[in-house]
Amino acid sequence: MLGCYDFCGHYDWTFEWLQEQGGDTLLRDYWREAIAGDSQRHAAQLIETLGFEGMKKYWAHTLEEEAAGYTLTTRGDVARIDMHDCPSKGFLLRNGINHSADYCDHCIGWIGPVMEKAGFTIDHEHNHCGQCWWEMRKKGDETPASETGDLSAADVRVAPNWKSGDFPLDKFEKSTSAEEKNPQPISAPTRPDSR
Amino acid sequence: MSFQLPYQDTKPQGAADFYFAINATFRFIHARLGRAGWVRYLQEMGQGYFAPVNEAWRSGGLPVVAAYWRAFFAAEPGAEVEVRETNEEVILEVRKCPAIHHLREQAREIVPFYCEHCYHLNHARAEAAGLAMRLQGGAGQCRHVFSRKFATPQDMNAIRTC
Repeated sequence: MLGCYDFCGHYDWTFEWLQEQGGDTLLRDYWREAIAGDSQRHAAQLIETLGFEGMKKYWAHTLEEEAAGYTLTTRGDVARIDMHDCPSKGFLLRNGINHSADYCDHCIGWIGPVMEKAGFTIDHEHNHCGQCWWEMRKKGDETPASETGDLSAADVRVAPNWKSGDFPLDKFEKSTSAEEKNPQPISAPTRPDSR
Repeated sequence: MSFQLPYQDTKPQGAADFYFAINATFRFIHARLGRAGWVRYLQEMGQGYFAPVNEAWRSGGLPVVAAYWRAFFAAEPGAEVEVRETNEEVILEVRKCPAIHHLREQAREIVPFYCEHCYHLNHARAEAAGLAMRLQGGAGQCRHVFSRKFATPQDMNAIRTC
């Protein structure tokens, strides 16, 4: 039986397997159709119908269930998540699991299509070490992503290990797809989620 | 005998909503790559991702198989499973499958072939460990048997659809 206890491990393995079968196209179709459109349909429904309030409801439930170290901040026209200790990537790092090319991309891979359908866009960065931030705004709102510390006292970008200097940050601006990544290499070519 | 699962989390049990993703993954792969592709996915995962467990089964034999499944189901929320072992076989009596239970409780459309995954995955794992596996039942309650060999092949009609 495939279990939920080590789900993140076989989920990561599945990404690599799908990429081998059908490249990036099949993998992105998987995130959009199977995860956004099927598995996480409850998230899509909440966000489509309740907007920012739906985001609060969804992530409060799911990140609590996964025992995440995170904060969620909403201010009128923006919802921001600061993930300090991702339970999913953290599971892989702690257990030395490293099958897929960039595990962290799966989040925008499914959250992006959910937000697009609900009329939102995403500013996002992840550091491949279990830390990331997200800002969701209504489509058409061209307000740039906040400066560090402006929206949340718990802004992950002020964490001492946010930019270790060893790994590139992956950045997305007004995005709804994993294809729209803007890698910003820092120095070393090897990050903990590349094979 | 106790068994430490090869991958450890900070909490004692997994999040049951991940069963949604497993069910959705099966639906997607079956639709895109066909039944043969879905079976190959499970077999390759059984041989690849589960290689550390397969090796433990191979070196430790049936007592380790039994200990593994006790540890496995203790980490799956809502599971009610009895694990019995003899010199010849290990039997899992699944009285309440945690995945089927959660998917039903949350009114998810379960792929009809969901229960077959246990056979394709676990048989591949058993073979890698020099064992064989048979499955009977499904749709929430079933029996898995692991042994060195069986007199007859798996009867796929013995696995219920959901």
